[in-house]
Amino acid sequence: MSAIGVLRCSLKAAAIIATCWLVPAVWAQEPPKPAQIVFNDSGGDMTKAMREAFYSEFEKRYGIRVVTTSPIDAGKLKAMVESGNVEWSVTEIGPEEAMLAEKQGLLEPLDRKVIDLSGYPEHLQDRKFIMPKGVYSTVLGYREDAFAGGNGPRSWADFWDTKKFPGPRTLRDSPVDNLEFALMADGVPPDKLYPLDVDRAFRKLDAIKPHIAVWWKTGAQSAQLLVDKEAVMGSAWNGRYYVAIKNGAPLHIEWNQGMIKESAFVIPRGAKDAYWGQKMLALITEANLQGIYANIITYPGLNLKSMDYVQADLKQFMPTNPDNLPKQVWTDAKWWLENGSSAQERWSKWILAQ
Amino acid sequence: MNSGPVNSGPVNSGPVNSDQVTPGPVNLAQVKVASTGVDVSGGSAEAPQERTDKRVPAAPILLSLKGIAKTYGAVSALTGIDLEVPDGQILTILGPSGSGKTTLLKVVAGFEAPDSGDVELAGRVITYATPASRGIGMVFQNYALFPHMRVAENIAFPLQMRRLARSEIRDRVGRTLSLVGLAGYESRYPRQLSGGQQQRVALARAIVFEPRLLLLDEPFGALDRKLREHMQLEVKHLQRRLGITALFVTHDQEEALVLSDRIAVMNGGSIEQIGAPADVYSRPANRFVADFIGQSNIYRGKVAASSPEALTVTLSSGQTFVARGASPRPIGVEVGLVLRPEAPTRLTDQDSRDNVAVGCIADVVYVGDAIKYSIRLDGGGEMVVRWPFYRNEAPLGVGETLRIGWAGDLLHVVDWT
Amino acid sequence: MDNGRLNVVKRAPRRIPVLRSEQGPVLVGLLPILFLGFLFLLPVARLLMLSVEGGTLVHFHKALFGELYLRVFYDTFKIAITVTLLSLFLAYPVAYVLSTASPQWALIGFLFLMLPFWTSILVRTYAWMILLGRNGVLNQILVGLGLVREPVALLYNVPGVLIGMVHVLLPYMVFPIYSAMLRVDRDLLLAAEGLGASSLSVFWRVFLPLTLPGVIAGTALVFILSLGFYITPALLGGGRVIMIAVLIEQQVRQFLEWGFASALSIILLSFALLAFFALNRTAWRRTA
Repeated sequence: MSAIGVLRCSLKAAAIIATCWLVPAVWAQEPPKPAQIVFNDSGGDMTKAMREAFYSEFEKRYGIRVVTTSPIDAGKLKAMVESGNVEWSVTEIGPEEAMLAEKQGLLEPLDRKVIDLSGYPEHLQDRKFIMPKGVYSTVLGYREDAFAGGNGPRSWADFWDTKKFPGPRTLRDSPVDNLEFALMADGVPPDKLYPLDVDRAFRKLDAIKPHIAVWWKTGAQSAQLLVDKEAVMGSAWNGRYYVAIKNGAPLHIEWNQGMIKESAFVIPRGAKDAYWGQKMLALITEANLQGIYANIITYPGLNLKSMDYVQADLKQFMPTNPDNLPKQVWTDAKWWLENGSSAQERWSKWILAQ
Repeated sequence: MNSGPVNSGPVNSGPVNSDQVTPGPVNLAQVKVASTGVDVSGGSAEAPQERTDKRVPAAPILLSLKGIAKTYGAVSALTGIDLEVPDGQILTILGPSGSGKTTLLKVVAGFEAPDSGDVELAGRVITYATPASRGIGMVFQNYALFPHMRVAENIAFPLQMRRLARSEIRDRVGRTLSLVGLAGYESRYPRQLSGGQQQRVALARAIVFEPRLLLLDEPFGALDRKLREHMQLEVKHLQRRLGITALFVTHDQEEALVLSDRIAVMNGGSIEQIGAPADVYSRPANRFVADFIGQSNIYRGKVAASSPEALTVTLSSGQTFVARGASPRPIGVEVGLVLRPEAPTRLTDQDSRDNVAVGCIADVVYVGDAIKYSIRLDGGGEMVVRWPFYRNEAPLGVGETLRIGWAGDLLHVVDWT
Repeated sequence: MDNGRLNVVKRAPRRIPVLRSEQGPVLVGLLPILFLGFLFLLPVARLLMLSVEGGTLVHFHKALFGELYLRVFYDTFKIAITVTLLSLFLAYPVAYVLSTASPQWALIGFLFLMLPFWTSILVRTYAWMILLGRNGVLNQILVGLGLVREPVALLYNVPGVLIGMVHVLLPYMVFPIYSAMLRVDRDLLLAAEGLGASSLSVFWRVFLPLTLPGVIAGTALVFILSLGFYITPALLGGGRVIMIAVLIEQQVRQFLEWGFASALSIILLSFALLAFFALNRTAWRRTA
């Protein structure tokens, strides 16, 4: 055998050996399965719906237990990442906080080889860090028994009209949404809202301030205040009203001029089981699961096909329902990222001013 | 069976059988030897002359308790107490713990209301009056000094409560402090004082407002022996000088003997005997008193012969003793013979007494100024005698045989039951 | 040999008290000191460093000169002082009743007192809503009796916050006062009475001064805890009452502005320490 033959032979052998090595190497790309991953969400009804729709499916599919914690807390996310002790595999996060966290480098990039966003609206498909999951809307709601014959308020201008629609009101203790509501009540067309005219918004808010019985703090509070008749109308996240209605409260959701926004999931930078976090996010994009979730809590998914799985009688409660979607306005999270802090400071000052 | 108060005061208030009345300052050593009739006997007869004020010797009754009864749930703390304290005297309530003496004091002070009976102070019924309105000074067992007030503030407290003028308060506090020897301690806090000093402050606070009656609840219990004896005398002198009437509670019989004009011995919620210290000591009304006060030799026997002059008692051992001055009793009745350890004297073979016994010394105990001998009697039984210890005399040794005897009137007869 | 044995016997009892009286406290104290150093001083040091991040005092400048923050500090102290005083006036009689009650009744009393501790803030808030809301029990009674025509606003305002905070903080005031009352020698009260003091004088001149250390401890506890409250005021204040902790929380969780949050915290901590030392001085003067 010539030297070259020997060389060839050995090369061949080497190739075979290499191939033999390579196969398990491909296998090894999937990291070992941990016993559990930690999913941090908003808690309460939301956790229940998440478990029914996504967590139980994940556990069935991969045999990894999903442990949940709550509430969502951007401060804690930052603390975890900066201390290098990241407890969460995935966390839900508010839209503005998500952008802040991305800016401060607190997030793990989305593995787009694992997460397929092709079923999503086109403008969401290029996400690098923030996984859009679904949408929710801050909407006007009122007690049907306070306004006979379906004559309730139909816009924020009506909400501000305390003569025609008397009674105590409740709004969220936050400038987010309220500045938009005030401007719309003052006649600003929905498509001309941004950038927000903050001065004008606060001037308009002055008019409604004496009629606000409670500035609500938590989602649960918002609908409960109407149920307890502490207020006759208010703002709330649409799912909160739905749960109250489902439980028999005589509430009505007015979709007109609701502020719609996307809810987001992120993987904290340095998360222990980031790979399985990515797998979890991939599972959450699936249309049928998003449909199941929406049927429970009326927060629809952003996978366009998910509406196919929503029960017909529940479609009226979905912000993305074709009847409802056009009435609402998309929140400009970028504006809030840049102006949120100063708006909040001004809000606090305004709240305290007698 | 407890026979309750056997003798009431007047019965025993007769002349004291003592020939060595000690006038002037009390000699502590003598008190402790406590041969019959210590100086304390002078209480009723002599005290008025020592006092600075000019009261008539037959002092009126200041405090009088009539049929005081008190029960706590099922426990009866006081059962029909009658007691009178003449103006200017110290009456001691002596008894073991749980005998009801502190409860009685609380009833007098007004901290407890009796279930029945009346408390009279200077002729006024005060049974249900508030403590504040009674005007009685009290020294508590633990002094009860206000820890957050300085000495002067503590003493000024009762005067402030009486709304005296500021200058008057200052004067009186100053005077009282010097009286108890604590001038210069005005701005100390109680916890910065020694036990004896605290005691003086408590005393000063109790007398500064010139109360008609002073109550002392075991005030010397927390002091060491030396200080206690010193304070006892000081209190007594102060009481004499100021002419204060005092009701004093203690379980310490020595203390009672030193301090009191009269002693009321309490047991089980009732008074067993009231009388001058020497009386109570030498003529205990019953076995309880005999046992509780001083050290006694108590012998059980049966009356063999009874006449107005003498009672002949046969002990179970067969010995026969003669007691004089005891009331006649039926033949065969069980009685107790009480013999104080100072009573017997050593006899020569020629000497004779009403009662004579022979025995050998089983034990010798030195008690400072005296020696206690335990003598095993030939007829059976034991006798403790206590004789002054003289340096030039060699004490008797264990095993020595001796002959002792005592007069029949030194043998006191009590009912056995 | 006998001597040796005797020496051992003699020395042994002496050595134990020495260990107890000198080394014991040091050893026993070391653990808490390490614990506190690790869990308290270290984070505070980090807080301090965060607040002057980048070597500037801009955060402090904003906190002390921005009108919002001074105003909120002022409100926070006002509410903390009010809550402390209200708790004191409620707790003192409660503690007195408990200190005179039999052990069984005292235990039951304490159970009731501790209830808010074991109840979540949301449940508590909801309970207050049922009682004090526009359509709550109290308003229904008032309207039903014709005492008022419109429901009275008892919640979602400053009184609501005060009620909620006092409810939670009362035990912190009751416990120290209660234990101070238990330590008061009842003979002192009798003595005062016997010396001619009226019930009122007994209270003012003897009982109150003697329980003052408990009052001061409770006051310090409640005051300092009130300063850091935020969930209760946020929920029961209807959004109208802003405590400094709410603003700190916003900076930490919403805007991720930790430097500014640290500056606010440091200022709050300094105020709290200042108040604590002031109270402590009074306590020392009173009991020294």
